[in-house]
Amino acid sequence: MKALILVGGFGTRLRPLTLSFPKPLVDFANKPMILHQIEALKEVGVTEVVLAINYRPEVMINFLKDFEDKLGITITCSQETEPLGTAGPLALAKDKLADGSGEPFFVLNSDVISEYPFAELIEFHKCHGGEATIMVTKVDEPSKYGVVVMEEATGRVERFVEKPKIFVGNKINAGIYLLNPSVLDRIELRPTSIEKEVFPQIAADQKLYAMVLPGFWMDVGQPRDYITGLRLYLDSLRKKSAARLATGAHVVGNVLVHESAKIGEGCLIGPDVAIGPGCVVEDGVRLSRCTVMRGVRIKKHACISNSIIGWHSTVGQWARIENMTILGEDVHVCDEVYSNGGVVLPHKEIKSSILKPEIVM
Amino acid sequence: MKALILVGGFGTRLRPLTLSVPKPLVDFGNKPMILHQIEALKEVGVTEVVLAINYQPEVMLNFLKDFESKLGIKITCSQETEPLGTAGPLALARDKLVDGSGDPFFVLNSDVISEYPFAELIEFHRAHGGEATIMVTKVDEPSKYGVVVMEEGTGKVERFVEKPKAFVGNKINAGIYLLNPSVLDRIELKPTSIEKEVFPRIAADEALFAMVLPGFWMDIGQPRDYITGLRLYLDSLRKKAPARLASGAHVLGNVLVHETAVIGEGCLIGPDVAVGPGCVVEAGVRLSRCTVMRGARVKQHSCVSSSIIGWHSTVGKWARVENMTILGEDVHVCDEIYSNGGVVLPHKEIKSSILKPEIVM
Repeated sequence: MKALILVGGFGTRLRPLTLSFPKPLVDFANKPMILHQIEALKEVGVTEVVLAINYRPEVMINFLKDFEDKLGITITCSQETEPLGTAGPLALAKDKLADGSGEPFFVLNSDVISEYPFAELIEFHKCHGGEATIMVTKVDEPSKYGVVVMEEATGRVERFVEKPKIFVGNKINAGIYLLNPSVLDRIELRPTSIEKEVFPQIAADQKLYAMVLPGFWMDVGQPRDYITGLRLYLDSLRKKSAARLATGAHVVGNVLVHESAKIGEGCLIGPDVAIGPGCVVEDGVRLSRCTVMRGVRIKKHACISNSIIGWHSTVGQWARIENMTILGEDVHVCDEVYSNGGVVLPHKEIKSSILKPEIVM
Repeated sequence: MKALILVGGFGTRLRPLTLSVPKPLVDFGNKPMILHQIEALKEVGVTEVVLAINYQPEVMLNFLKDFESKLGIKITCSQETEPLGTAGPLALARDKLVDGSGDPFFVLNSDVISEYPFAELIEFHRAHGGEATIMVTKVDEPSKYGVVVMEEGTGKVERFVEKPKAFVGNKINAGIYLLNPSVLDRIELKPTSIEKEVFPRIAADEALFAMVLPGFWMDIGQPRDYITGLRLYLDSLRKKAPARLASGAHVLGNVLVHETAVIGEGCLIGPDVAVGPGCVVEAGVRLSRCTVMRGARVKQHSCVSSSIIGWHSTVGKWARVENMTILGEDVHVCDEIYSNGGVVLPHKEIKSSILKPEIVM
């Protein structure tokens, strides 16, 4: 089977992290975001993944060669020369997706994390015999999104309502699809929206079905949701493979620590923390609701919450970092400095406190 | 003869421009900053220029191969693996700078623009017979800088005073040196400051001389000084090569327009404006005290002052852009938008006005 992952553009919402790497390669829970999706696809028998990109293909391609060997799956890029929207890239990659076998192919939005229940999705798709299946997720405030209105029993999609003013349902498009090759005949090679132009046509033919996504769902394309997403992801790990989480007197709640990371004495780590490869957390450090990326050093007695510490950065002794502070790559926060929501671009040194949220360039 | 240009690090002060290219390649007066220096060095017979860098060598090297062929001068890179300060890089590049001829070599700070009176500098250096010559420039507020105290008649340097509280002189280090090979014997390969450790020793041996830089001088490593620097540079062009400046009813003061740029009807351009290669300035546009970089399009009736418009950006119709607005590469300001000092990172669209100076990421 094949899969297309819509990687898209510049990842500006995840700056400053995306100033160092293209978004799919930004780490989430200690591995590149896109690797979570690729591994789950491999697990259900996908043999080739096509990445629809329009920015920095060289960086992606180098990195992916590495994955290809390690995972034993073919990864190729399909590069847009003009933005093609959410459906156009499928037309662009047509030759790679329709291999003559008649099998359906996956389409994923690269910012989405979930449990990726792809086996269940394949089963559901086969059962209903329609042309396309989209996964939907339940939200509390549907009026902010595009709502999918469906027949409860069968899941057959009736229509889509963009930002409904009155309540029509609470399921929204989760950005995970399983499509028959015939869907490609409905898409022209031009900027096209799959939600606004393609799916409504398939729904009108009564061939579009929706499956409610079991488990968690999050669009981690911006820092606040990235942090919430980590909590959901670690909750899910607790249920499915609790052995991967850290344990010990210094651990509170769900904490993921890479095997090559070091944690000192007297620390209190958690809840909802991920510590990446090669990190050094010195003695007496408090970490909660944060991500510490590859190669970071957190010095003694520092206190970090609700923040993201970028690759190879340093947080000084007794520093206090909180409230959505995002440190880019190679940022050095001096001893005893306070950061309240500082957003710091790569290769900077922070010598004085940041008292209110601001960008440091 | 040889020359070393101290290019240094990440160019963070010139962000967002340096998020797209390394600082020496940022355009100034319609050509890469470093090209101004390299051309002036070639003119006095320098055959090899060594760039001391510690960041993004690949980007630099590709670009420089291009210059090498066009200019007929050899350009190499000397890459620091740890920051070596302002003198360490000379030790690192020693083998390239000492060619056995006994000729002195130039050392330049890459952020400095001036008239580069290198022939006069060579003459002055030979005449005094000392070991090293530094160029100095007069400033109004010497207490903010390192002041060079020298004997008025001969230029012999007596001492350096860092940020003097009492008046000791008003000449500061201009970042342009001509050094005998013997100076290299005074520098170890470790982080070293040329102003604090090396020059004072040469001065103590009464072998250091200072020459006052004729003409203008500016350190253009940050946007405000970049804009002032353009004014000084264009003033200088007016005196030395006025044919290069634009003329016509639509031109006010000193304006440099690249031959491939297109200017529409009814515009008023200047003073102190540079319009780069391939730019399109539509009808009825007002530009003053600004730089418009390669490939940018400024749409009808807009008004831009005291700002920098980055490569391939667009300024919409009737837009007003002023007060140190810096647009990075590929930034699109929509029609009728106002930007008061917005600093916008690459690949962004500005759909609503920026009322006070802020970074848009």
